[in-house]
Amino acid sequence: MSTYTADEMMSVAAARALSGGQRCFVGIGLPSTAANLARRTHAPDLVLIYESGALGSKPDWLPASIGDGILAETADAVIGVPEVFNYWLQPGRIDVGFLGAAQLDKFGNINTTVIGDDYANPKVRLPGAGGAPEIAANCHEVYVVVRQSKRSFVDQVDFVTSYGHGRGNGERERLGLRGAGPTLVITDLGVFRPDPDTHELVLTAVHPGVTVEQVREATGWELRVADELATTPTPTSDELAALRALKEASSS
Amino acid sequence: MDKRMTADEVAAELRDGMTIGIGGWGSRRKPMALIRAILRTDVKDLTVVSYGGPDVGLLAAAGKIRKLVFGFVTLDSVPFDPHFARARQSGAIDVTEYDEGMVAAGLSAAVKRLPFLPMRAGLGSDVVTTNPDLRTVTSPYADGEELLAVPALRLDVALVHLNRADARGNAQYLGPDPYFDDDFALAADRCFVSAERVVDTADLSSAPAQSLLLNRGAVTGVVAAPHGAHFTSAAPDYGRDEAFQRHYVACAKDPEAWPSFVDRFLSGDETTYQSEVTRFQEAAA
Repeated sequence: MSTYTADEMMSVAAARALSGGQRCFVGIGLPSTAANLARRTHAPDLVLIYESGALGSKPDWLPASIGDGILAETADAVIGVPEVFNYWLQPGRIDVGFLGAAQLDKFGNINTTVIGDDYANPKVRLPGAGGAPEIAANCHEVYVVVRQSKRSFVDQVDFVTSYGHGRGNGERERLGLRGAGPTLVITDLGVFRPDPDTHELVLTAVHPGVTVEQVREATGWELRVADELATTPTPTSDELAALRALKEASSS
Repeated sequence: MDKRMTADEVAAELRDGMTIGIGGWGSRRKPMALIRAILRTDVKDLTVVSYGGPDVGLLAAAGKIRKLVFGFVTLDSVPFDPHFARARQSGAIDVTEYDEGMVAAGLSAAVKRLPFLPMRAGLGSDVVTTNPDLRTVTSPYADGEELLAVPALRLDVALVHLNRADARGNAQYLGPDPYFDDDFALAADRCFVSAERVVDTADLSSAPAQSLLLNRGAVTGVVAAPHGAHFTSAAPDYGRDEAFQRHYVACAKDPEAWPSFVDRFLSGDETTYQSEVTRFQEAAA
């Protein structure tokens, strides 16, 4: 087995979460890497949907931005942004919303707006909401892929841009949001799923060679660990080859 | 009826404090010739509604914006507009920070002349806590669902850039996406359209009928503006001028460099702008 990086393990683990002909709404960056890896390995029938209106996109390389022409050129159909919102996203016609996050909290709420307590005078201002709140609210499920550290994995986000499970304990259901919210979080250290009752994210798998202690140190709250903690299978040589080919094609 | 006018005549229609909507999306099909004309006026204190790109950056840099209603501001291939980032960080402009769907709902309500439209996304988020004027509404039907009531985004003026138009104000997009340009037009009291080419009405039928995004009934004025979306894209007429956008970003980041960018590209009229762009492209080639 060849060696691989933590980032590669994360992308492979995230790709494995997708299957069959799921309709998957894909954010640029880590989610797009994982979704295209899945499509080019075990799940060729995935329908990847990008916000620019590309339905069933099959890019040969990883798009640099949502406006990359390869998304439309390789799509089954191209629709306008208004249709994306009105006909696909808001009515809940998407199986999986695949998102990244600048900051994620123990209940899966996502912050892409500001870092710091004071909204008017933050430490860092992030790009903002974009379409992520629609994805988080309306897709049947939301998967989040994010590099984990104490800064990105916090007890409570500074700003709830995209609502996950609020403060847990069924708050999301009471709000009336139709989708199940974040059901899976994949990082460079392991895999997390919400507790079915409290909705707090629980560590359910560690990647090979990662200890629970390492995960705790990169988590900004008192981490709960599943009773039966799994270890993610190492990336196969096929998965690594496909991932590296995608990256190679993207940088050329 | 011939509605042709110049970009400067459109800009002269704006008044201090107006609410203007700007079509396009990020760094795509923005009415940049009209924006450049606004930069040449004294108008100020605008409330701007936009899926923002360099339109917002340029207007912010020139101190034209009092308040911005937005779902994002990005240059697509460059994540941030430096002018906008600076204005935002310094608090120079007021903001109503929505998400894309909320801006769409607000425009759609205005199109229909409804006071608001309900939606789910945004519930529970800090968009609600940072916009304390936002209200929810409870469905009067058996479901009793509580929804976010996004208020109508009525506009005094809409500015959009399309691929083709006739002199009467019928206008056509030939690219992949209408964005929300029709909603901007119909949410406004008056809509001004710039177009890559102003053609005979009969020539508009060379593309499918559904590409006619704007009807003359919704259009007040038409401006012939070849390369009028530059440096944003106007597919299929041209793509984004990435090299020029990078130059814009580099200058916008550098307070020392920005005055010379303004001097070279923005202090003259549109003809001067376009000829300086050609010189820039030739020098880069």
